[in-house]
Amino acid sequence: MKWFLFYPELYYFTGGMVFLSLSMLKQSNPRRDYFAAMFLAALGVLVCLINVNQEGFLFLKAYRVDLFSQVFKVMLSLGLFLVICICSELKAIAERHHPEFYLLLFVCTMAMMMLVSSAHILTIYVALELSSYSLYVLVALRRDERMGLEAGIKYFLVGIFVSAVMLLGVALLYSATQATYLADMIRVLPGALDSPLVVIGLLLTLCGFFFKLAVFPFHFWAPDVYQGAANQATAYIATASKVAAIAILTRMIAVTGDGSIYLAHVLVILSIISMTVGNLAAIVQKDLKRLLAYSTVAHAGYVLIGILSMSTVGYSSVIFYAMALLVMKFTAFLVVVKVADDGSNLQMTQLAGLHRRSPLLAMALMVSVFSLAGLPPTIGFTGKFLVFAAAMEKGYFTLVLIAMINVVISLYYYLLILKAAYLQEPAETQAPLHVSPPVKILAGLLVCVMVVAGIFPRYLIELASAAAAALN
Amino acid sequence: MEYTNFPYLSAILLSCIVGFLVILFMPEERKMQIKWVSAVFSGITLILSVYLFLAYDKAQGGLQFVEKVPWVESLGITYFNAADGFNLPMLLLTGIVFFTGVLTMWELENRVKEFYAFYFLMVTAVFGLFMSMDLFFIFIWYDVSLFPMYLLIVVWGTTRKEYGAMKLTLYLLAGSALVLPAIIYLFVASGLNTFDITLLMRSGTFTPYQQKFAFILFYIGFGILAGVWPFHTWSPVGHVAAPHGVSMVHAGVLMKIGGFAILRVGIFLCPEGWQHWAQLMAVLATIGIVYGAFVGLSQKDLKYVIGYSSVSHMGIVGLGLSTVSVDGLNGAVFQMFAHGVMTALFFSAVGYIYDRTHTKVIAELGGLSRIMPVASTYFIVAAMASMGIPCLASFWGELMVFIAAFKTYPVRGALAVCALVVSALFMLRVVQGTFYGPKNEKYEHLADVSLALGIPRMILLAVLVIFGLFPSLMFDMIETASIPFMNGLP
Repeated sequence: MKWFLFYPELYYFTGGMVFLSLSMLKQSNPRRDYFAAMFLAALGVLVCLINVNQEGFLFLKAYRVDLFSQVFKVMLSLGLFLVICICSELKAIAERHHPEFYLLLFVCTMAMMMLVSSAHILTIYVALELSSYSLYVLVALRRDERMGLEAGIKYFLVGIFVSAVMLLGVALLYSATQATYLADMIRVLPGALDSPLVVIGLLLTLCGFFFKLAVFPFHFWAPDVYQGAANQATAYIATASKVAAIAILTRMIAVTGDGSIYLAHVLVILSIISMTVGNLAAIVQKDLKRLLAYSTVAHAGYVLIGILSMSTVGYSSVIFYAMALLVMKFTAFLVVVKVADDGSNLQMTQLAGLHRRSPLLAMALMVSVFSLAGLPPTIGFTGKFLVFAAAMEKGYFTLVLIAMINVVISLYYYLLILKAAYLQEPAETQAPLHVSPPVKILAGLLVCVMVVAGIFPRYLIELASAAAAALN
Repeated sequence: MEYTNFPYLSAILLSCIVGFLVILFMPEERKMQIKWVSAVFSGITLILSVYLFLAYDKAQGGLQFVEKVPWVESLGITYFNAADGFNLPMLLLTGIVFFTGVLTMWELENRVKEFYAFYFLMVTAVFGLFMSMDLFFIFIWYDVSLFPMYLLIVVWGTTRKEYGAMKLTLYLLAGSALVLPAIIYLFVASGLNTFDITLLMRSGTFTPYQQKFAFILFYIGFGILAGVWPFHTWSPVGHVAAPHGVSMVHAGVLMKIGGFAILRVGIFLCPEGWQHWAQLMAVLATIGIVYGAFVGLSQKDLKYVIGYSSVSHMGIVGLGLSTVSVDGLNGAVFQMFAHGVMTALFFSAVGYIYDRTHTKVIAELGGLSRIMPVASTYFIVAAMASMGIPCLASFWGELMVFIAAFKTYPVRGALAVCALVVSALFMLRVVQGTFYGPKNEKYEHLADVSLALGIPRMILLAVLVIFGLFPSLMFDMIETASIPFMNGLP
């Protein structure tokens, strides 16, 4: 056994254990928990970075460490670190629950890291469930029990239903191919993709990942959960959890080789509906977190465009898109968390006068919104461009056109957010927002990353291509 | 990397970007300093663009001041700027309108810092688009030039600003929704893995079918920005809602981006598509000319009048492009330049009047020429330019286009000329209602334009007259690009 391949996961497991023991202490100390989490998460990013070039197999080849998985692990660790950065005032979670909150975050991150490395259908299932269960509890932890519990139970019920469907798919797939290792499936599947059994099995299996990614028709949980969970927990679900879902979906689709025409058709339809439903529903939202939930559904549609190209170019574009999504979604949530500093949900009207209360946050919001809308010169545009170019290479002209029309629709509500932040004045004058210097630096850095990576995307594109090449 | 000499084109971009950053980090309260900084940096761009215009070697022709840096090699994206006879007039126009626009907004008091920051961002993109020879960068600049508009209008605008801003942004972004798929389509179809226009435009790269298909997407996509009928409805609304300096850049320069991009991207890359769709272009352009003139006739708001006259004048540009001839191209580019300067003068003059009287409704004004004779003169000169009076720049552009149009499309050309008479009628009506007739006592006490505030209008007026008296300055320049291009067509 080459244990060093497993260091990142072991590290996050240890981190989780630290918080488990902290949670058993009698008196609670939020500052201590926060700094411990911050330190451990920062170190975790370092551990993942050191391990980025590792390659190899573990656990009877059920666990595969390659550039693809390692790049995603770095993204996940970064996601966790960023989310913990905005946990300094965790008012939506009871103080005695803070260690548990961090424990769940660490365990969930570990589970997602295992997910992106899994090369065996059962490892995938176990890792998926472990991450999901952590999230169910994370959502329900909110201090406002009615809201948190309702969201948690909704999430849980939809989740177990989908995982049952997924298990059925796995069983069908196994009966058709007698393979449980992805490596075996790669050999068997491309030839068998025309048989209905395989297509149905594969689609049902994919449902589990669609649920994670909030693709139509598995998106119904997203708005309620986003709204019901604590702001920081929502930020985690919207960033790290989506990144993991993109990774595993890409790995699963890559298994089918050139893919089947049926599978591509289904993905095209899901993608179009996800984009359209997400964008249209987002227009009428008043709660910013609900709005971001629907925009996530729309983004899931864009991600599918890259995946359904089923080419290395497509997969690399998706990897780039995942990086973009991580940064831009997180920036939006940073603003949500900081503006709603009492831990409540943020209504659009509460953004009024933000440009006066905190010009920096207003600017961060503007750049992240433009990035989400896919306007240059931000990282979001580059991501969309790569995804569309990959689809166009496969001849999906109409799909790209529909996606672009969706971009225009989405612009409408993104502009409404901007209008609220830049034009509208609050009914009563509000004090300037207190933003601590580290958060200011973080916001400034994120803005720089979004713009600079949009203007000079070269290294990230090369990294994404290299990671995608590792898939095969 | 490849430099012929000092990178003048990048220097223009850089002075915009540096200006943007300097403004961004200046304290909000120092309004006067922010304005001076804006004036200085926009002045630098003006000087550079004038220099480029004069330094271009017309005898040699072709692409000059070339700057080429590979950007993303795996996708064939190059940072490729160059100047030729088509884009130099546009760069000059942008420099002039940018500088005079900054001066026109001199009296702004509300959120000065943000205004100039967004303003610089928008103009950076406009400069970038005009000088770029790389499809990818052209698209990026195109989009970047659009989104600051939303905030510029919604925060500092006037009449129905929220509606106008949203309509304008969504319309123009809908245009880019057609353009981006077309760009990627051509990129993939060429198989050359490059966005370099000079490589893509070699004949034989695209089949006739691909050219026809892509051209219509480019034409509609960019045509929305160029105010092509029936996609023009954002333009009067947006211009009316925008603050004056922004209207100047928007009607003066941004609409030209549409026309220029049709030329640079659509016509350069898809010449066969251009010839195929020329008839349709001519029809739409003629309708635009006639329609703009007649709708302008019934407007009650000064800015709406200018907005519809823009639709009409951009129709002339479209008509010129649709003739598929050297004269047509010359006229179209000249008309873009002349119309840009003229509209800027219009909005600049209206801006002064509106800041004093707080109304743009023609019926409420009246007799202004006796209260503020100088301000009135600026407007009246612009109106005369709009009517196409000789000795002013726009006369030549219109003349060239109509000569070319009569040769190719006699009926449509004749219709368009008739519409000119109507547009002369509505301009005279506006001038008469606003500046002559009974004085409105309410505005008796208002001061006329001071010398300092008059500077931007004087510059614009001087440009109109100079190019009106010496049109060959411009035509010689455009011909260095249009004649080789037309000769190169199959």
